[in-house]
Amino acid sequence: MINFQHDILPLKNLIFRTALRIVLNREEAEDIVQDTLMKLWQKRDELAQVANLEAFALASARNLAIDRKEKMENRNISLDDTLHDRPDEGLTEGDRLMTQQETHRLVADVINSLPEKQRTVIQLRDIEGKNYREIAEVLSISESDVKVTLFRARNEVKEKIFQKKSFFL
Amino acid sequence: MDYKYIEQLIESYFDCQTTLQEEQILRSFFAQEDVPAHLARYAALFQYETEAKDEVLGEDFDQRIMAQIREEEQREAEVQQPKAHIVQLSTRHFTPFFKAAAVVAMALTIGRAAEHAIGEQEAEENMDVIAVDPYIKSGDVLQTIRIKDVSQAEVKAKNDSIITVTANDEIQ
Repeated sequence: MINFQHDILPLKNLIFRTALRIVLNREEAEDIVQDTLMKLWQKRDELAQVANLEAFALASARNLAIDRKEKMENRNISLDDTLHDRPDEGLTEGDRLMTQQETHRLVADVINSLPEKQRTVIQLRDIEGKNYREIAEVLSISESDVKVTLFRARNEVKEKIFQKKSFFL
Repeated sequence: MDYKYIEQLIESYFDCQTTLQEEQILRSFFAQEDVPAHLARYAALFQYETEAKDEVLGEDFDQRIMAQIREEEQREAEVQQPKAHIVQLSTRHFTPFFKAAAVVAMALTIGRAAEHAIGEQEAEENMDVIAVDPYIKSGDVLQTIRIKDVSQAEVKAKNDSIITVTANDEIQ
């Protein structure tokens, strides 16, 4: 038997971060976590047969997130609250060293500007520490596709970060 | 200090050749205070990877979701209860109808029995023999049936052993 507090609730923050990486909006991501957890609970009888509950939950959450992101984009509303006002170009040419907070935000922005699939792979591998097999299951692609996607994502991030000259100082 | 190992790991990382453990080593390495200058440009990435895992839901989330779960459980319980309730009600409500139905059924049974008795009498009086092959097909020669009066060929089925034969359309 699946117990909500024991089996489903502990997935909440993993689902939250994964959804957040897709919709880039905390409120939306929180709604997605609620919807996903409720859906899992309603389906608890069928879930006894699911081998990897975590991967199943992440796949459901990702589908919901992609749906919501599309709707947001169709409404032409930018709900992106992870981008903050900051004096971006002004400090690039070695005016001063970026603070640690600023460099981290820049990395976040670079990752968030990647296509959704690359973003999600980076999230699951480099932030959540999941293995290729589980990521493949979540995305319904092969493990070698996961590797190819991750390769592109990591190298794109490196390239974009290196373009910012203040990083070298 | 020699950073060859870390440099190698970084190279493998961007080739997607590192294991999860090696990736964790990189994150731990860049979490320290003194990162050598030539590796500093990688620091933000690996530090961010560590930091991003601290992103969590608000504290009130559990309360809200548990309230929702309780609601859902209540709904599920309500869906199950009325079923039993309806059965109870229906038995009580429909009792008069059951009585009426029993009366009708009884009347029909008696009527049928009476009809059957009369029918048998009539059949004996009116007909010579009705021996109908149940597998008769249209086109078959009517020799198998000897019927006294063609107008009486239509015999009402009163029980299973007598079948209805309409002389004109069934056998032609």
